[in-house]
Amino acid sequence: MAKKFITTEDVRRAGAGELVVDADTIVTPQAMEFATQNGVRFKDARGAAYSEPPPDRGPDAQRALRSLPHLPEPASDSDIGSTQMVVVTAVGRNRAGVLAEITAALSSANCSVHDISQKMVQGFFHLVLTVEVPPGSSFAGIKQTLECLGGQDDYVCRVMHERVFRFMHRL
Amino acid sequence: MGFTDQEILETIRMFELETLDIRTTTLGISLFDCADPDIESACEKVYAKIVHHGRNLVAVANSISTDYGIKIVNKRIATTPIAWIAAACGERDLVPFARAMDAAAKVCGVDFIGGYSAYVYKGMTNADRALLESIPRALAETNSVCASVALGTTRAGLNMDAIARFSELVLETAALTADRGGLGCAKLVCFCNPVEDNPFVAGAHSGVGEPETVVNVGVSGPGVVRSAIERLGPEADLLAVSETIKRTAFKITRMGELVGREAARRLGTTFGIVDVSLAPTPAIGDSVSDILELIGVDRTGAPGTTAALALLTDAVKKGGAMASSSVGGLSGAFIPVSEDAGMIEAVRVGALSLAKLEAMTSVCSVGLDMVAVPGDTPASTLTGIIADELAIGMVNAKTTAVRIIPVPGKRPGETVEWGGLLGTAIVQDPGAFGCRVLHARGGRIPAPLQSYKN
Repeated sequence: MAKKFITTEDVRRAGAGELVVDADTIVTPQAMEFATQNGVRFKDARGAAYSEPPPDRGPDAQRALRSLPHLPEPASDSDIGSTQMVVVTAVGRNRAGVLAEITAALSSANCSVHDISQKMVQGFFHLVLTVEVPPGSSFAGIKQTLECLGGQDDYVCRVMHERVFRFMHRL
Repeated sequence: MGFTDQEILETIRMFELETLDIRTTTLGISLFDCADPDIESACEKVYAKIVHHGRNLVAVANSISTDYGIKIVNKRIATTPIAWIAAACGERDLVPFARAMDAAAKVCGVDFIGGYSAYVYKGMTNADRALLESIPRALAETNSVCASVALGTTRAGLNMDAIARFSELVLETAALTADRGGLGCAKLVCFCNPVEDNPFVAGAHSGVGEPETVVNVGVSGPGVVRSAIERLGPEADLLAVSETIKRTAFKITRMGELVGREAARRLGTTFGIVDVSLAPTPAIGDSVSDILELIGVDRTGAPGTTAALALLTDAVKKGGAMASSSVGGLSGAFIPVSEDAGMIEAVRVGALSLAKLEAMTSVCSVGLDMVAVPGDTPASTLTGIIADELAIGMVNAKTTAVRIIPVPGKRPGETVEWGGLLGTAIVQDPGAFGCRVLHARGGRIPAPLQSYKN
């Protein structure tokens, strides 16, 4: 049945047995339920059981997706290939071992520090690290680990993707 | 990479202290292929298509939030105006479409879905009329569905018959949701010159010229602009204020551009627009009113407010336009009264009247937004308020909108709490004089001379 949608009414009209549907046909959940209750099965032209097709986002989508990588993007200074760069910041009350804690966490995630700076003002520090995350490492995992460091009345650690800073501060 | 510490800390400050966020990532979905002579089948298709395209939206937006460390507050869906889809079935009760949209929104995990809409700026089809008549029940019986009606354009003029009926429907919607302070009206907006790619509710919908699916992003950031002007100090002249807002809006918009590109790539669809609108929330500091007061008025609503808002809106647009080729939607500054702590306070102390608010809307990006009036306000007075606001849009070739809530049982000066993003409102006095004859005349206000451009 060459239709964009198969509804309950379509199933009702078709009666019992099998309904052959196109690969891009969407069977509504209500039609699916009605079909199950009435012993109707959906198959594609090759006889395989129906599965919902991937979303067809329309004729503009393919061109739009092709053009996305060509949109001008602020250049990165370093050739980082498939790795990701992230910016780690920590702000808080200074004490012994803060930098060691952060770099130990980075080290255990195989991250390499590319740039580091720290400033102290009246017993408070702010620390900025630019870090390379190796391919295959989970950004989310590293972010969670680092952001759990410190705590109330100690220091706060934040992790953001380098692309955020590039978009905001570079043309 | 060459970022200075100052640049990095500026960005962190914006996100951590100044409540910069992406206010909404809205997926537009065309429903034209869901039209069906049988309403049940049409509703099944509407539900299936929204879920089919929208079920990944929240996961994708959350993944971008995680990967980039940028908060995306709302994920929403905008559809083709339902009146166009419902025309094929010829039914008079279109509430089943609202139920289908509501159910689909729930499955997709979005808090609001826009598109229970009709364009009636020149006249009504039978389906348009059916949709309008069903709005009060649709909004009372669903949680997430938002309705919008286009009642005028610069090219067509104002449909005063439709405005009069819309006013009555606003009152009916308030009455049906009286137990929630007339909350249904917070999901109902009317427009002059509607924007077909608007990602913000309640007016979000995906118009006739929009693609099959499209991602539109709304950025916000009144807190960031407020802090920038605060740092500038009161001695700086207005050119410096404008330049500061422009630079800040540029940076905010770049975040929208980044998220829009990523959302489109991950959803496999078209990146539509970034809507650069300063959208306040009831949170302290996240206020457009605070910005106006920092620019130099004692209270929002005082003399000078319209000029300050004009400067703000213009500078936001200029900064945004340089930051993205895809700036669209409403883009400017929103002034939803109940959603902005500073504006609520301005109403409370008597600085901000309904009349001044109307003047402000002639230079902001939308219109009378989240304004509470007494529940016994006559329909004819609402017609006058709406027609005045839409006339500003018609003559100035800009979008104007009205989202007004006649709060049942409330008198001017009383407070109503809607909670959450919708905030708190102080009921405003629409005045003792009305416009019953204008309301009763009906007909159309013809298109203004400035529409004859061809």
